[in-house]
Amino acid sequence: MSTVDTDAMLVRVQREDFSIDEEINRVRNRSTRIGGIATFLGTARDRSEDRDVSRITFEYYEGMAQKKLREIRDRALQDFDVIEVLILHRYGDIDIGENIVLIVVGAMHRADAFKACKWCIDELKQITPIWKCEQTPDGQVWVEQHP
Amino acid sequence: MTVTVKLFGMLRAQLAADSDLKVQLDQGCRVEDLIAAIQLMNPDVGDLLLKRKILVSVNHEMAHGDTELTSSDEIALLPPFSGGSDTPGGMPSDVYR
Repeated sequence: MSTVDTDAMLVRVQREDFSIDEEINRVRNRSTRIGGIATFLGTARDRSEDRDVSRITFEYYEGMAQKKLREIRDRALQDFDVIEVLILHRYGDIDIGENIVLIVVGAMHRADAFKACKWCIDELKQITPIWKCEQTPDGQVWVEQHP
Repeated sequence: MTVTVKLFGMLRAQLAADSDLKVQLDQGCRVEDLIAAIQLMNPDVGDLLLKRKILVSVNHEMAHGDTELTSSDEIALLPPFSGGSDTPGGMPSDVYR
Protein backbone atom coordinates (compact mmCIF):
# COMPACT_ATOMS: atom_id res chain seq x y z
CA MET A 1 0.00 0.00 0.00
CA SER A 2 1.38 3.41 -0.92
CA THR A 3 1.95 6.16 1.64
CA VAL A 4 -0.90 8.15 0.12
CA ASP A 5 -3.26 5.22 0.45
CA THR A 6 -2.17 4.63 4.02
CA ASP A 7 -2.67 8.26 5.00
CA ALA A 8 -6.14 8.19 3.46
CA MET A 9 -7.00 5.19 5.61
CA LEU A 10 -5.92 7.08 8.72
CA VAL A 11 -8.60 9.77 8.29
CA ARG A 12 -11.99 8.50 7.17
CA VAL A 13 -15.68 9.35 7.22
CA GLN A 14 -17.66 6.26 6.33
CA ARG A 15 -21.12 4.77 6.63
CA GLU A 16 -20.11 1.24 7.56
CA ASP A 17 -19.04 0.02 10.97
CA PHE A 18 -15.36 -0.58 11.70
CA SER A 19 -13.24 -3.13 13.51
CA ILE A 20 -11.50 -1.58 16.49
CA ASP A 21 -8.79 -4.26 16.38
CA GLU A 22 -8.09 -3.58 12.71
CA GLU A 23 -7.87 0.15 13.28
CA ILE A 24 -5.56 -0.23 16.28
CA ASN A 25 -3.34 -2.54 14.23
CA ARG A 26 -3.31 0.05 11.43
CA VAL A 27 -1.66 2.44 13.89
CA ARG A 28 0.47 -0.21 15.62
CA ASN A 29 1.95 -1.32 12.30
CA ARG A 30 3.14 2.19 11.42
CA SER A 31 6.17 2.01 13.70
CA THR A 32 7.97 -0.36 16.03
CA ARG A 33 8.77 2.68 18.18
CA ILE A 34 5.20 2.77 19.41
CA GLY A 35 5.04 1.73 23.05
CA GLY A 36 1.57 2.92 23.97
CA ILE A 37 -1.71 3.28 22.11
CA ALA A 38 -4.59 5.35 23.48
CA THR A 39 -8.08 5.08 22.02
CA PHE A 40 -11.35 6.94 22.30
CA LEU A 41 -14.49 5.18 21.08
CA GLY A 42 -17.75 7.10 20.91
CA THR A 43 -20.90 4.97 20.88
CA ALA A 44 -24.60 5.67 20.46
CA ARG A 45 -26.46 5.93 23.77
CA ASP A 46 -30.20 5.64 24.32
CA ARG A 47 -30.66 8.73 26.50
CA SER A 48 -30.02 12.38 25.76
CA GLU A 49 -31.20 15.57 27.49
CA ASP A 50 -33.77 13.58 29.53
CA ARG A 51 -35.20 12.02 26.37
CA ASP A 52 -35.16 8.43 25.20
CA VAL A 53 -33.28 7.99 21.97
CA SER A 54 -33.97 5.05 19.70
CA ARG A 55 -31.58 5.83 16.86
CA ILE A 56 -29.10 8.48 15.76
CA THR A 57 -28.43 9.79 12.27
CA PHE A 58 -25.23 11.63 11.46
CA GLU A 59 -24.91 14.02 8.55
CA TYR A 60 -21.61 15.52 7.44
CA TYR A 61 -20.29 18.02 4.95
CA GLU A 62 -18.51 15.94 2.32
CA GLY A 63 -15.07 17.35 1.63
CA MET A 64 -14.94 19.89 4.44
CA ALA A 65 -15.35 17.26 7.16
CA GLN A 66 -12.47 15.20 5.79
CA LYS A 67 -10.37 18.34 5.43
CA LYS A 68 -10.93 19.30 9.07
CA LEU A 69 -10.14 15.78 10.26
CA ARG A 70 -6.90 15.80 8.25
CA GLU A 71 -6.01 19.14 9.83
CA ILE A 72 -6.64 17.69 13.30
CA ARG A 73 -4.42 14.69 12.56
CA ASP A 74 -1.65 16.90 11.14
CA ARG A 75 -1.76 19.25 14.13
CA ALA A 76 -1.72 16.37 16.60
CA LEU A 77 1.33 14.88 14.90
CA GLN A 78 3.00 18.28 14.96
CA ASP A 79 2.08 19.48 18.45
CA PHE A 80 2.29 16.28 20.50
CA ASP A 81 5.08 13.75 20.90
CA VAL A 82 3.17 11.02 19.12
CA ILE A 83 3.96 8.72 16.22
CA GLU A 84 0.64 8.08 14.52
CA VAL A 85 -2.97 9.25 14.72
CA LEU A 86 -6.08 7.67 13.23
CA ILE A 87 -9.46 9.44 13.15
CA LEU A 88 -12.59 7.71 11.94
CA HIS A 89 -16.20 8.91 12.04
CA ARG A 90 -19.34 7.20 10.79
CA TYR A 91 -22.34 8.84 9.15
CA GLY A 92 -25.87 7.72 8.35
CA ASP A 93 -28.21 5.79 10.64
CA ILE A 94 -26.59 4.34 13.74
CA ASP A 95 -28.41 2.08 16.17
CA ILE A 96 -28.07 2.33 19.93
CA GLY A 97 -24.85 0.80 21.16
CA GLU A 98 -23.11 0.98 17.79
CA ASN A 99 -19.76 2.62 17.13
CA ILE A 100 -19.76 6.27 16.04
CA VAL A 101 -16.26 7.68 16.23
CA LEU A 102 -12.80 6.28 16.90
CA ILE A 103 -9.54 8.02 17.72
CA VAL A 104 -6.37 5.92 17.93
CA VAL A 105 -3.07 7.52 18.91
CA GLY A 106 0.26 5.69 19.02
CA ALA A 107 3.22 7.15 20.89
CA MET A 108 6.41 6.02 22.54
CA HIS A 109 4.86 6.72 25.95
CA ARG A 110 1.32 6.60 27.29
CA ALA A 111 1.13 10.14 28.66
CA ASP A 112 1.62 11.68 25.23
CA ALA A 113 -0.83 9.23 23.66
CA PHE A 114 -3.54 10.05 26.22
CA LYS A 115 -3.06 13.81 25.87
CA ALA A 116 -3.17 13.77 22.08
CA CYS A 117 -6.17 11.43 22.02
CA LYS A 118 -8.19 13.74 24.26
CA TRP A 119 -7.19 16.78 22.25
CA CYS A 120 -8.20 15.11 18.99
CA ILE A 121 -11.74 14.19 20.09
CA ASP A 122 -12.28 17.59 21.71
CA GLU A 123 -11.10 19.36 18.57
CA LEU A 124 -13.16 17.09 16.33
CA LYS A 125 -16.29 18.11 18.18
CA GLN A 126 -15.42 21.79 17.85
CA ILE A 127 -14.41 22.21 14.22
CA THR A 128 -15.70 19.28 12.17
CA PRO A 129 -18.96 19.86 10.25
CA ILE A 130 -20.87 16.82 11.47
CA TRP A 131 -24.46 17.01 12.70
CA LYS A 132 -26.41 14.60 14.85
CA CYS A 133 -30.13 13.96 14.63
CA GLU A 134 -31.66 11.89 17.41
CA GLN A 135 -34.85 9.89 16.98
CA THR A 136 -36.94 10.44 20.13
CA PRO A 137 -40.57 9.77 21.14
CA ASP A 138 -41.28 13.44 20.26
CA GLY A 139 -39.79 13.17 16.80
CA GLN A 140 -36.42 13.94 15.29
CA VAL A 141 -34.18 16.33 17.18
CA TRP A 142 -31.16 18.01 15.69
CA VAL A 143 -28.62 18.23 18.47
CA GLU A 144 -26.78 21.50 18.78
CA GLN A 145 -24.12 20.52 21.21
CA HIS A 146 -22.98 17.73 23.41
CA PRO A 147 -20.26 17.49 26.02
CA MET B 1 -25.06 36.04 -10.47
CA THR B 2 -26.63 33.03 -8.80
CA VAL B 3 -24.83 31.34 -5.98
CA THR B 4 -25.69 27.91 -4.67
CA VAL B 5 -25.67 27.53 -0.89
CA LYS B 6 -25.49 24.12 0.72
CA LEU B 7 -27.71 23.53 3.72
CA PHE B 8 -27.27 21.03 6.52
CA GLY B 9 -29.15 19.66 9.48
CA MET B 10 -31.93 21.76 10.92
CA LEU B 11 -31.43 24.52 8.34
CA ARG B 12 -33.09 22.52 5.57
CA ALA B 13 -36.30 22.44 7.59
CA GLN B 14 -36.00 26.08 8.64
CA LEU B 15 -35.51 27.28 5.08
CA ALA B 16 -37.93 24.73 3.63
CA ALA B 17 -35.31 23.61 1.17
CA ASP B 18 -33.94 20.21 0.17
CA SER B 19 -30.20 20.52 0.17
CA ASP B 20 -29.26 23.61 -1.82
CA LEU B 21 -30.49 27.18 -1.82
CA LYS B 22 -30.17 29.36 -4.92
CA VAL B 23 -29.58 33.01 -4.13
CA GLN B 24 -29.39 35.84 -6.64
CA LEU B 25 -26.63 38.34 -5.88
CA ASP B 26 -24.87 41.15 -7.71
CA GLN B 27 -21.40 40.54 -9.09
CA GLY B 28 -18.70 41.23 -6.51
CA CYS B 29 -21.00 40.59 -3.58
CA ARG B 30 -19.63 39.55 -0.24
CA VAL B 31 -20.74 37.14 2.43
CA GLU B 32 -22.46 40.00 4.25
CA ASP B 33 -24.63 40.58 1.16
CA LEU B 34 -25.54 36.90 1.10
CA ILE B 35 -26.56 37.12 4.74
CA ALA B 36 -28.71 40.17 3.99
CA ALA B 37 -30.42 38.28 1.16
CA ILE B 38 -31.09 35.30 3.40
CA GLN B 39 -32.45 37.59 6.09
CA LEU B 40 -35.08 38.76 3.64
CA MET B 41 -36.01 35.14 2.95
CA ASN B 42 -36.02 34.05 6.59
CA PRO B 43 -35.39 36.68 9.31
CA ASP B 44 -34.80 34.05 12.01
CA VAL B 45 -32.01 32.37 10.06
CA GLY B 46 -30.67 35.79 9.06
CA ASP B 47 -30.43 36.83 12.70
CA LEU B 48 -28.57 33.65 13.60
CA LEU B 49 -26.14 34.34 10.76
CA LEU B 50 -25.58 37.89 12.01
CA LYS B 51 -24.95 36.57 15.51
CA ARG B 52 -22.61 33.94 14.04
CA LYS B 53 -24.65 31.13 15.56
CA ILE B 54 -24.80 29.85 12.01
CA LEU B 55 -21.49 30.11 10.16
CA VAL B 56 -20.77 30.51 6.46
CA SER B 57 -18.07 28.50 4.76
CA VAL B 58 -16.64 29.26 1.35
CA ASN B 59 -14.65 26.54 -0.39
CA HIS B 60 -14.44 24.51 2.82
CA GLU B 61 -13.06 27.35 4.95
CA MET B 62 -14.89 29.57 7.40
CA ALA B 63 -15.73 32.89 5.79
CA HIS B 64 -16.10 36.39 7.16
CA GLY B 65 -18.50 39.13 6.21
CA ASP B 66 -16.05 40.73 3.82
CA THR B 67 -15.23 37.52 1.95
CA GLU B 68 -16.01 38.14 -1.72
CA LEU B 69 -18.15 35.59 -3.52
CA THR B 70 -18.17 34.25 -7.06
CA SER B 71 -20.68 32.00 -8.73
CA SER B 72 -18.18 29.13 -8.74
CA ASP B 73 -17.57 29.21 -4.97
CA GLU B 74 -18.79 26.32 -2.87
CA ILE B 75 -20.80 28.06 -0.18
CA ALA B 76 -22.45 26.44 2.82
CA LEU B 77 -24.43 27.50 5.87
CA LEU B 78 -23.22 25.57 8.89
CA PRO B 79 -25.52 25.21 11.90
CA PRO B 80 -23.81 24.44 15.21
CA PHE B 81 -21.90 21.18 14.99
CA SER B 82 -23.17 18.30 17.07
CA GLY B 83 -20.01 18.33 19.10
CA GLY B 84 -20.86 21.83 20.22
CA SER B 85 -19.08 25.10 19.73
CA ASP B 86 -19.85 26.42 23.22
CA THR B 87 -21.59 29.43 21.79
CA PRO B 88 -23.92 30.52 24.59
CA GLY B 89 -27.48 31.64 24.06
CA GLY B 90 -27.64 31.03 20.36
CA MET B 91 -29.89 28.90 18.27
CA PRO B 92 -32.69 27.00 19.99
CA SER B 93 -31.08 23.77 21.04
CA ASP B 94 -33.63 21.62 19.25
CA VAL B 95 -35.71 21.90 16.14
CA TYR B 96 -38.48 19.37 15.71
CA ARG B 97 -39.69 18.50 12.28
